[in-house]
Amino acid sequence: MKKIVFWLHRFVVAYGIIMLSTFFMCLLFNPTSELPVVSFFGRCILFTLVCMATLVVYYSKTELTLRGWWIRTVLHAVLLEAILLPLAHNWEFWYGPLDAVIYASFILAAKILWHLIDFGQSIRTATQINKQLRRRNNHQKQGGA
Amino acid sequence: MKLSVEQIPYENEEEVIVRCYDPQEKWVEAIRVVTAGEVSVSAFAEEKVYRLKLSEVYYFEVVDGCSFLYCEKSVFKCRQKLYEFEELCRNSMLFRCSKSMILNADKIQYVRPSVSGRFEATLMNNEKVIISRQYVGELKRLLGM
Repeated sequence: MKKIVFWLHRFVVAYGIIMLSTFFMCLLFNPTSELPVVSFFGRCILFTLVCMATLVVYYSKTELTLRGWWIRTVLHAVLLEAILLPLAHNWEFWYGPLDAVIYASFILAAKILWHLIDFGQSIRTATQINKQLRRRNNHQKQGGA
Repeated sequence: MKLSVEQIPYENEEEVIVRCYDPQEKWVEAIRVVTAGEVSVSAFAEEKVYRLKLSEVYYFEVVDGCSFLYCEKSVFKCRQKLYEFEELCRNSMLFRCSKSMILNADKIQYVRPSVSGRFEATLMNNEKVIISRQYVGELKRLLGM
């Protein structure tokens, strides 16, 4: 159950980032083509699922070292570009080479945003744990005195 | 509440029997944690056999198929496999913190978030170990959060 909640949470975050990226792209570049709402949201969901499937590059039987994590993160970024760019082109989300560069930079920005959100959550969790550890240590010191 | 203490000879195994109305009570849980900390495990160092209390263990790690117990200053070899040691640690302050490690929550000084989405825990002896994100929930539970 915990795993389902964990992946659902990841899905919502990834979907949110994709929607946010789409919003900014439309705001900045004012696209001429229009998509029916249902097929647009459907494609966004499919996009999110493809993004999540690429997370398989992080899979390892042993615990990843920090260096190993960085290597896989770069690999994941390359994989995202290699899969999402042709897919988006097929769906006519971009046309020319300049569009491709802009689209690729948006994918990269979205990945960075993903890690920043992750890090922000980690900071919050670490603060809560440290607070509790301090409270326990103080309590133990008082008990020992 | 009545408290009975019976002194026994060293040949017999020490035992705590709790007679309570509700086994979920906080004081029963506290006794469970304390008694689990008093569970001992056989360990080897320099061809000598030692009995270590779980409460003395900082962490347990499997490296290249061999199991090691890390205390404040010393390292011991032990026979248990990861899952066996995990079973032994049930109801104690030791918890699975990564794919190959079991950590004593009582020995954590503080935790720091890492960009890799994991946490770096600094122990009481200033040693640093990694806590995977998926096991942080267990640490929070042990700390009463």
